[in-house]
Order: sequence, then C-alpha cells, then structure tokens
Amino acid sequence: MSQLGRVKQWNTFARCWHLFDAAWQNPLECAPSIEKYLKGLNKPIYHPLVDCGDHVVVINSKQIAFPGEEWRRRVYFHHTGYSGGATWTPAWELHDRDPTMIFRKAVYHHMKGNLFRRVVMERLHIYSDSNVPEEVIENITNQIPPLRSIPKTLGSYSKEEIEKYPKIIDYPEDFILSKN
Amino acid sequence: MSSNRFTPRGFPRVPLQNGIGRYICQLKRITLRFCKSSGSSRGIRDFIETDLINFAQDHPGTALYLKPRRHKSPSFVAEYLNGEREVISCHNFTAQQTIKWLNLYTTRSGIPLMRYAKMWHTECPSIQGVWSPFTNKDPALNITQFPSEMLSKPVWEEKSATEELIEMINKQKISDENDDNTQKVQAAQL
Amino acid sequence: MLTLRRATRVLQVLNTTQKCEQSFHRWLGPTLRELKRRKDSQGPEKPAHRKTFLEWNYDTEIYAFSKRLGEEFNNDLLQQALTERSYIIREEERQKNVGIEQPTLNLSDNKELVSKGSDFIDDIVKRYLRTVLPRLPEEGIIGIHKHLTSIQTLSHVSFHIGTSDLILCADFPVEKLTLSNVLKSIIAALIESSGNSRAALFVRDFIITQLADKDLHQFWEPDEPIKLLSEILARDGIQSPEPRLIGCSGKNTILACFRVGLYTPDDKQMIGLGFGETVDIAHEMAARDSLRKLFGTSDNILLPFNLKLDQLCASSARNLSVTEWSQKTIPAHPSHFELRQAKEICSN
Repeated sequence: MSQLGRVKQWNTFARCWHLFDAAWQNPLECAPSIEKYLKGLNKPIYHPLVDCGDHVVVINSKQIAFPGEEWRRRVYFHHTGYSGGATWTPAWELHDRDPTMIFRKAVYHHMKGNLFRRVVMERLHIYSDSNVPEEVIENITNQIPPLRSIPKTLGSYSKEEIEKYPKIIDYPEDFILSKN
Repeated sequence: MSSNRFTPRGFPRVPLQNGIGRYICQLKRITLRFCKSSGSSRGIRDFIETDLINFAQDHPGTALYLKPRRHKSPSFVAEYLNGEREVISCHNFTAQQTIKWLNLYTTRSGIPLMRYAKMWHTECPSIQGVWSPFTNKDPALNITQFPSEMLSKPVWEEKSATEELIEMINKQKISDENDDNTQKVQAAQL
Repeated sequence: MLTLRRATRVLQVLNTTQKCEQSFHRWLGPTLRELKRRKDSQGPEKPAHRKTFLEWNYDTEIYAFSKRLGEEFNNDLLQQALTERSYIIREEERQKNVGIEQPTLNLSDNKELVSKGSDFIDDIVKRYLRTVLPRLPEEGIIGIHKHLTSIQTLSHVSFHIGTSDLILCADFPVEKLTLSNVLKSIIAALIESSGNSRAALFVRDFIITQLADKDLHQFWEPDEPIKLLSEILARDGIQSPEPRLIGCSGKNTILACFRVGLYTPDDKQMIGLGFGETVDIAHEMAARDSLRKLFGTSDNILLPFNLKLDQLCASSARNLSVTEWSQKTIPAHPSHFELRQAKEICSN
C-alpha cells in the first residue's frame, strides 16, 4: 500500500472519544444513543464485521435518575451457581455499592448478546463523578447531547428570581408558608 | 456453484486493463473433441457442418482445432490468454446448445469462477475524498473545553409548564401595557 | 448430465445388490491405488510446451495472434520478432549433432528489432507522460517511465497478449526478460509493417494503460517533501508555509490521529492537508499533498488514454526539473480537455 493509502485508512478509521454527562439522565433511555457511538453505527463506513466503534466517557453516573418507583422496584438478579445462591438486589442498593454499575448494566443489556459485546463494552469508561483523569479528558473531541435537560431545583433559584416570579395571589401577612 | 462458501472469493477484475485501451478476446484457442459416429456427438457434428465456418470468421483471434476421437464423449477445451484451461462436456448437446456454450466461453475473461464479494470494484472509491470522522465537523470543537456548558443541553425539548406560564404572564403584561398606552393616547386626543 | 449419470449408476448398483454380486472387479481398487502411488513417487509432472500437443499449428497461431491484436503484420517480420537468438543456436547444434556439417536455418533473430522497439517505447511513453502531465517534474516522468518500461511490466503485457506459446527460444518456461524483449520486437515489427502511428496506438493501448487506477506517486516520491515545498514556494515569492494542527482524536492513545493543514503565511490560504499517526507524519503528508496539488497528480486523477501520435508533444520537449520548478515558469501546454476537444474535431 502506498504511503497515502495508509494514512487515508488511518484517518477514516480514527477512533474518536465522546463525552456523556449522565447527571439526571435515565440510563435505560440513554443506552441506545450510547450504543450507537460505541459500535460506530453513526458512521457511514459501518459494517457489523468492521471494528469502527468509538470510545465514550460517561461522567456523573452517581447522579442518574430513574422514574417513579424504579429505584425500589427494579431488581438486579445474581446467582452464585451454588444452591440457594440467588440474590435479588434492588437498584438503590446496587447504586449505593457501585455508582457505575447500573449505567454499565443498562448499556450492556441493551446490546445484542454476541461475541463483540464484551469488546465493545471495553470502550465504555464510566466515572461516578466529574473527576476524570487528565489524560482521558485530553482525548475527548466531542460531547453527546443529553436526552433531558437538568431540572432546576427550588434551592438553585436566587432571591431576585423568586421575587420576580409572577404571583397569582398575595398571601396574607400572617400566613405561614414553612416553619423556618 | 458461485454461492458455495468454499469457492474463492474476490472482486470482478479484468486481465491487462482489457477495454481501457482496446478490447482483446481472451479466448486464444479452442479444441472441439467429438466422435464421428456416436449419437452423443450428433449436435456438435451438426454445429461443425453448419456454423463452424461462421464461428471461425467471427472470431479470427481464436485458434480453432477439430479433434475427432473414436467412441469418445464430445467436449471442447477453451484456453485463455492468462494460461487457464477449461474442459466443457458437450455430451448429447444440440447444435444450438453448442453455439450457446461456445458463446459463453468466448466472452469470458478466463479468470476462474469466484464468489463476488461485490458486483463492482474500484481503486478510486470516492472522487470527493473518503469520509473520515472529521468530515463536516465544526472546527470550534477543537478548542472547546469538555464538558462544555453549551453542549450539555438536549437537542430538542418540550416546554415545561413553568416556562409556558411565565410566557403567558409576560404576554399579558405586554398587552396590558399596550391597552394603557392606547387609553392614554385616546385621552390625550380627547 | 452428472446427475443423470449418477442416477443410472445407483440403479446399476441396486440391480447388482439384488443379484448379490459386485459390479467391479476386486483388483480394481488396489490397482488404482498402486498406480497412484507410483505416480506420486515420480514427483509433480513437468510442464509441457503447448507445441508438443497434437492440436498445434504454428501458422494458425500466428494468424490468430495478429488478428487478436487487431493489427496488420508483415508475416516474415512477425516471425522474426518471435525468434530469439538462443533458439537458432540450439537448432544449429541439434542439426550438427545429427550430422549436418553446415546447418542452414532460414531464420533471423530479433536482436535489431528489440533495440529499435525499445527506443520507440521509451520515446512514446515519455512523450505521452509529458503531454498528459505537463506540471509533473522531469524526475517524476522518469520514475513513471521506468516503471512502465521495466521487465516486470513489459513481460506482464507480453504474456497477456499471448506471446508465451509462440516465442521460439531455448528457455522453457519462458523467462521474463525474453517476454519483454519479444514485446519490444513486436512493436518494432509493427512500425515497419503499419507505420509509426499504429505502433504508437499499440504502445498506448497495452503499455500506457497499465497506469490506470494506480497512484502515480508510488513510482516517484520526493525524499524531503517539506524542504522541497518551501523551496518551490520560495521561487514564486511565497514564504514557507505554516503548519497548523486542525484536528486530532484520541491523542493520548496509540490509535491517535492528527490532521495538519499547511497555510500560506500571507493570505492564510490552505494549500495542503495531511493526516497520520503522529504530528510529524501528518506534517509530511500535508507537504506531499500540496506538492500533488502543484504537480497536478492528485490520487483520483483521470488520465486521458485516447491521445494519438500527432497529439503528443515533441520528443525534444522536457518538463521542468525539481530544482527549477515554479508556477511562474510552467510552460503553457494544452490541457486534457483541450486535447480531447481536438480529438473530437479530428474524428468529426
């Protein structure tokens, strides 16, 4: 192969690094979009037998969100292989033990089970907070947009904003809103 | 035959860039082997009687040999410029069938049959340049500090009830002000 | 056909099993096995020359050869072109061994034709390249010419037009040098039979078309592209280009990819783009890319393979050498498009 052909192929199959902020995101909803980047489905050169997937760095996995009763009702099953070795761990308990586990399991279980799945999963790097090693951050060249925006909590509003907020009624002066 | 997974796999190609300069018929030699008396050679004998001269005139670049062999099943041997040689049995063929098979083997390139990975092949896959992950990328990403505030927003999101409420209030305020203004103007005119 | 035969065979076997007797002799298997063993012990079969076959007529083959190429040859000249010196020597010795003291062979070898054909090929190939690649430096022209007239290329062409069976020479299988010599002598025979213009078309159709689909810079690569580029630009009064990193991915990994663009310092125009595993490689490839653009030899170039002898430039014309190449001093050659138009007017 000529020199030009070699670098052309290198350029086409260059592995990119993407960042994903998991704060306030539902891991089950995020899994399809993460999988797309991990397998390289977003590339026109994609072929199931071609190794063209990218790396994805997920940060803030401790702050993922589940809807409704999901934290209590969702159960992760594990069997040690011995009799009576079955365990059912609720999502909240698993998240307490390892904050990256739920996200990793969500992506892993979303993918079709074949011999490539473990290889593809090696390209997923999950961090429970935003403290990512410098050499990993330097690799990143793109950010995957989140599916939902982060909701604003009541505490994050400043005093001015609260005063400016439109009011329908004025409370009477002796009306007690909260104890403190 | 070509769907067999054990046949060699490859791309369509031509020997010696045939057709870019001028076309050369790749069949260099053909030997018809037949029996003068047996019934299985009847079709090939008919072919030799009626169409052989025409065939030879149409393909002057192909050397043609006749090889009568007693009590043998008829066949023809096609030899190609790339050194390949193929034997085709013509047992019980009619003259028409013989012509068709000869026609097939004169138009072939002589490259052995293979399973085509694609039905086309090119050394220059793209005129505009091959795609790369950098194609159509915003160059501003090169100097962005990750995680970036701007890219941490969803692509599209429905308006929340709070936002809609604030919008409605703001609209009302503006219309109230407008009403006040018009009233003032009317009063001034009066 | 095969299935029918197999079906009858099965029926035969069924019939015989009913009669409880075997349809073939007990000695058949062991005999065949023994024959196979003896054959294997002799080693692989030696290749036989096609002329040793029963169906072989040299005159027919020669006739088919010229018709195949679509050329009118003088028969004696073609015969001479296909005769090697080694064949004549061997035949004379053979006659001497038989007892003929003064062997007479009415054959002449192709030595003169080879040198004549070689000169003609050199001339046409160089003129063709200079016509279609007027901006490529002379070193590049020589590099491509060297590839096209190498024994490798010429023997490949010669084999694929079917000379290997027809050559009269002592060596078998025919050597590559002999094959390429015979191609040269055939072209010389064609010059004498049908004239220069037909021979030029022959060279174009069979030798120059070997360039199709190939990257021209694999035959000639400047050694120090960055230095060469800045020298060339300096001759045009442009300062040496400024490399900039315009993209990278995974830069702390072994699969890092860098993209470097070369910009002119004055008007900030991008003149070349390179990519590679390291910044240095990418920089070098960017310089090569801008040289390709200057020389008009991008990797997806379409060479016109339809020029005739009268459309080629004169044999005295030379392209500029690398040491004096600059955009100002490029002589105005007709472009490919103009040449094509000229050809269409001629044909109309």
